[in-house]
Amino acid sequence: MARIVLENLVKTFGAGVTAVAGVSLDIQDGEFMIFVGPSGCGKTTTLNMICGLEQPTSGQVIIGDRVVNDLEPGERHLGMVFQNLALFPHMTVFENIAFGLRVRKVPTADLNERVSRIAETFQITHLLAKKPAQCSGGEAQRVALARTTISSPDVLLLDEPLSSLDAKLRVEMRTELKRLHEQLRSTFVYVTHDQAEAMTMADRIAVMQGGRIQQLGTPLEIYRRPANLFVAGFFGMPTMNLISGRICDSDSPRFQSENLDLKLPAKAVPRTGTDRDVCIGVRSEHVLLGAQGAAGRVQLTEPLGDETLVFFDYGGPSQLVAKYRGDRTFNVGEAIVFDFDPKGVLVFDAEDETRLA
Amino acid sequence: MVAETETAPRRPAGLTAWLAQERVFRLVPFVMVEGMFLLLLALPFVLTIYISLLRWRANRPFEQAYVQGFVNYARVIGEPEFWWSLGRTFYFAGAAVTLELVLGFSLAMLVHQAFRGRRLYITIFLIPMMVVPVVVGYNFSMIYVDSGPLNQILAPILTPFGVTARIRWLSHPIAAQWAIILADVWQWTSLTFLIFLSGFAALPPELINAARVMGASRWQIFRRIQLPLLKPAIIIAVVIRTMEALKLFDQAVLLTFGGPGDSTQTIAFFLWRQVWQFNKYGFGAAASVLLLLLFSSLIYGGIYLLVRERALLQQPEGRG
Repeated sequence: MARIVLENLVKTFGAGVTAVAGVSLDIQDGEFMIFVGPSGCGKTTTLNMICGLEQPTSGQVIIGDRVVNDLEPGERHLGMVFQNLALFPHMTVFENIAFGLRVRKVPTADLNERVSRIAETFQITHLLAKKPAQCSGGEAQRVALARTTISSPDVLLLDEPLSSLDAKLRVEMRTELKRLHEQLRSTFVYVTHDQAEAMTMADRIAVMQGGRIQQLGTPLEIYRRPANLFVAGFFGMPTMNLISGRICDSDSPRFQSENLDLKLPAKAVPRTGTDRDVCIGVRSEHVLLGAQGAAGRVQLTEPLGDETLVFFDYGGPSQLVAKYRGDRTFNVGEAIVFDFDPKGVLVFDAEDETRLA
Repeated sequence: MVAETETAPRRPAGLTAWLAQERVFRLVPFVMVEGMFLLLLALPFVLTIYISLLRWRANRPFEQAYVQGFVNYARVIGEPEFWWSLGRTFYFAGAAVTLELVLGFSLAMLVHQAFRGRRLYITIFLIPMMVVPVVVGYNFSMIYVDSGPLNQILAPILTPFGVTARIRWLSHPIAAQWAIILADVWQWTSLTFLIFLSGFAALPPELINAARVMGASRWQIFRRIQLPLLKPAIIIAVVIRTMEALKLFDQAVLLTFGGPGDSTQTIAFFLWRQVWQFNKYGFGAAASVLLLLLFSSLIYGGIYLLVRERALLQQPEGRG
């Protein structure tokens, strides 16, 4: 069982390329922590430093109560699942799973028993004699998990393990991974660029960009109260509507931009937010299509069955999207009237892009 | 109006027009490929087989030659010198290819690590391969002179053991054999080095990282991951080098001219002598047909192994 503490981790490559620019993080024992961010944000480098495949330029990695900076990856008692699984193509599934035990010189009888036990857990007993090339994508995934968990590591590191699977299998594997975490109760550190994966599996999410953690929190915190514009834009499908403008407070607060003038209820606007340039963010489910508000014109609809995404133009620089629950059909070119649900309006500073209290 | 629509468009006459027709034009590439095949491969091959069945010496007119069946083949098989040369060639090839594999592999493994000046070393190690064999032969004939540089280098090493470093590299039967092997090793280690270097570069780093995380030592990673995955490269190197080494000719001619005695007479040199010195065309043709059968069965064996290894290393379906 292990808690992981990262203390001001920095990693630079060569001259002037900074992959990780000071990451401090406390990952609790048994937690499912997900690093999420666009490619090049430093999430994989951070994972590799926990694992020991990369040496931090400065800062410390503490696993359990040991500083592990100078330990080889094999001495840190952790398991890692790689993006392309990294199954050894020349070995059978059995040998792949047994590899970690073999290099530690575990006696054969013990080894055989443990491999067959773990194979049963992952339902891959019928694959043991096959080569990885003969397994399907999902089977190979389970083999990789079995291989990693057989030595019951304290920490399981997963580097975008689902990214090469097709969409349906990816969703199924999410559930399986979550169940695995419940069973093992070991610390999971998972890297992905897929915000949906992060939302569905994580206990806590660390959103990364530019080598730094932008926000750390539970999935719902991050979804509902994003710390800045980057996090707000990164999470949620479809992307959050963002409109630049100004909040004026003559008698009651109003949001004004070039083409929009909306009355906002007082409680939606933080006190610090008035009379300054801001950017407001509204998720599609908080855009109300109804009888009152500003005028818009439908440009595109995406019916999802239970709900419909309505993309519309309001005369501003970009189009807005509303998630409409109900049976109404919208035609392209149709005039609509929209308003924002006051509890869903987030106000960000236009300068430094952080959310105003 | 009616007459106009019924008239077919007039075709320009001549060869170009005939070739331009769809049904003819698409056959043109086949004609070229098959033509080349017939001209360059099939014809000489058939001719060789035909000559191997003739009783014909080149110092007599071709009209007097007549088919005498498999007599030439029987002569080749009954000729002890043929078997000696063949055995010697396998001995040379075996020793040279083994050394080239070991040296090329070690060099590639060293250069595969990142260090300063790596590219420079790679370039230097590749030079011998690009030197014309004749030049290599002359260079080595100077190196091997009794009072030459090689013996002078060996002197301080050998003298403490009470051995005089006067190895007669080109005139002692066994030393001459090794002189030829070493010259071949010097020149062709470059090639095996190149093959292994690209083999190392093609190993997926995640596999090695995965093994490291699982606690494998450097030796275990080498023995259980890298070496098995390099098998296709090893087979390629063995096949290519064996193929070439079995044809060993230049060094045997340039350094020793087959001597002293027959001690460095390779099979290629033996054939050359039979045909060009003794004018035994039929005998030479029969011997080369036999050698072709022998060598190609060896090489196809190698290629079969290679294809099998490649198939085993395929990635799982539906993955990048």
